[in-house]
Amino acid sequence: MTSTFAQVRGLLLVIAGALGLGMLVGKAQLAPLDLGALLEVLVGWSFVACGVLLWTRRPASRLGLLMALVGMLWLVGRTMTLVPIPAVFTAGIWLTDLWAAAFVLFMLAFPGGRLTSRADRAIVGIFLFVAVPLEFLWLLFWEPAASACPPGVATCSRLNALTVVPDASAAHLLDTMQRIGFTTGAVLLVIVIGRRWLRSSGPARRQMVPVLAGALAILPQAASWMLFTIGIRLGPLQNLVFLTQIVIPVAVLSVMLRTRMARAGIADLVVELGQTPTPARLRDALANALGDPTLQVAYWSPSVGQFVDAAGQVMALPEEGTGQAVTMLERGGVQEAAIIHDAILLDEPGLIAAVASAMRLAVENDRLTSEVEAQLQEVRASRARIVEAGDLERLRVERDLHDGAQQRLISLSLELRVARSKLGEAGDPEVRRSLDRAADEAQAALVELRDLALGIHPLILTEGGLGEAVESLADRTSVDVTVDVGSERYTPAVEGAAYFVISEALVNVTKYANATKAVVRVRGLSDHLTVEVEDDGIGGADPRSGSGLRGLADRLAALDGTITVVSPIGGGTRISARIPTIQPTPLPVPAL
Amino acid sequence: MSTILIVDDDARFRTQARDILADDGFVVIGEAADGASGLAAAQALQPDFVLLDIGLPDIEGFDVARALAINGPPPWVVLTSSRDARAYGRRLTNGHSLGFVPKERISGAAIRALVDRP
Repeated sequence: MTSTFAQVRGLLLVIAGALGLGMLVGKAQLAPLDLGALLEVLVGWSFVACGVLLWTRRPASRLGLLMALVGMLWLVGRTMTLVPIPAVFTAGIWLTDLWAAAFVLFMLAFPGGRLTSRADRAIVGIFLFVAVPLEFLWLLFWEPAASACPPGVATCSRLNALTVVPDASAAHLLDTMQRIGFTTGAVLLVIVIGRRWLRSSGPARRQMVPVLAGALAILPQAASWMLFTIGIRLGPLQNLVFLTQIVIPVAVLSVMLRTRMARAGIADLVVELGQTPTPARLRDALANALGDPTLQVAYWSPSVGQFVDAAGQVMALPEEGTGQAVTMLERGGVQEAAIIHDAILLDEPGLIAAVASAMRLAVENDRLTSEVEAQLQEVRASRARIVEAGDLERLRVERDLHDGAQQRLISLSLELRVARSKLGEAGDPEVRRSLDRAADEAQAALVELRDLALGIHPLILTEGGLGEAVESLADRTSVDVTVDVGSERYTPAVEGAAYFVISEALVNVTKYANATKAVVRVRGLSDHLTVEVEDDGIGGADPRSGSGLRGLADRLAALDGTITVVSPIGGGTRISARIPTIQPTPLPVPAL
Repeated sequence: MSTILIVDDDARFRTQARDILADDGFVVIGEAADGASGLAAAQALQPDFVLLDIGLPDIEGFDVARALAINGPPPWVVLTSSRDARAYGRRLTNGHSLGFVPKERISGAAIRALVDRP
């Protein structure tokens, strides 16, 4: 089937080529070849070539075939009038007029390939009426003048095979009627196409430009028809009309194939959509890709149960027949968005589908991004909650130790002292020594227990704040520590993080740095806290070794904070932490 | 003989402290179980010393000490706690108390050492 069509198309091209050459040969015998003759042939070739090309590229559209037929009629008719055989000549004259009807049909059928309105059909009807019955009547009376003779024919009075009663005045009357009919049809054509152009918008309007130009080009043609009846021939005007007629098929072809170029616009669209544009930019990108400035995007709102615009205003989707059409974007059978665009774009289902899938990708991408974003938020929040819960647990353990074991050890300790004091210097010295040892043991246990409690949760931090807690740390550090910490209070999480950074850093100063002095600085800035611990020790601390700093980094990360260690060998160690003090609003704890 | 008021919510500690301090030559003229009654007792009894627990149920010991310092001739306040000094840092040296002695180290000697401290 396809190959049959291909053969037909090839044949059309060959015939058109041969006819054109024949026409040139014939014209050359009549008179020296001029520009007009050349342009006349090119009109036919342009229609046939562009028609065949369009037919090949858009087999579904009848416009290509129609265009090729217009070209063939032109070539066949005009070539046949050059043949001095009455039947051929007469048929040529007829076909030449019939061409006008075909040309008008082609323009009115653009772009769908079919006549859509009554006005269209009426105009084609006028042209057909002129070209068929009127032409037939005219041929009955017309006797070709010498000027219309084909080459090599001295007298062509007998060339009209249909002449029954040669009557110049009747022929002239009919000819004038034909010319008036053509001119009327031409003016109506201009009006219909002009109105159609004015009423359309965006892509449809651009698409109609070549047809509008073609319709306008009919006007000088009509003028030349009318001028001809009063004996005026306009060579240059005729050439201009030819030129326009050559350009029309090319322009129509380019418009019809424009979607190929538009597909390049899809690539831009995909790039634009990949950057998750704002709704306004999304609309612009879609409008650009589809060449439709009136394009709108509507989003389905499940809560409202209607389509809304980017601002959340309810949007009514256009009805059928308003010149606008709707392309729905669905996911899993659920509508998500709608593109409202010029109905003419429905002629390009491939284009609209490409745009729709690009946008579907963007919508999906958007959804995934916000899902991941939400999950990340949740993970962050839960990490912060875990640290917070850990801190609360430490606080509770410290209180339990204080209220429980610590009180009992104190009581035991005091009881032993009471017993020892009651005993005085009396009794068994062995018992006295034993009581003393027991008191010492209780004391030692108490010290260990307090160390443990302090490590679990420094009460001074909760009670007195970071400044006091750091002073207390400094007092217990064996090297000389300068403390530069204000008395501002922060959230327990922030204070805890800062405290443990300083505590761990000072432990390192004592244990490994071989330092003589250290400085602790805490600065509260608008939205974060900076903590610095610097010593004059041997440096060379590796933050990757040892779990202390690693644990601190995790604790800080839970608050979106960071820690850096600079420790050049021989150049001291400087540990800096940055702790945000404004915590993002935690997400509600998900229901279990 | 110096008089002393013991303010602590733990009855057992009060008894033990009373025993120890009495042995060490103090006259324990009163006991109170919370900050409010401690302040009232101090007002009524005018002791030389107040042995004051920091972790009282109603008012924190530091605040009781400050109130004692404001109302009338100040008794010497000796702060005590079952935690050690590290838990309180510089809050112990705010000028409203004579000093701090952890509970298990309470003794007449420890209190006098605070008085004699330069």
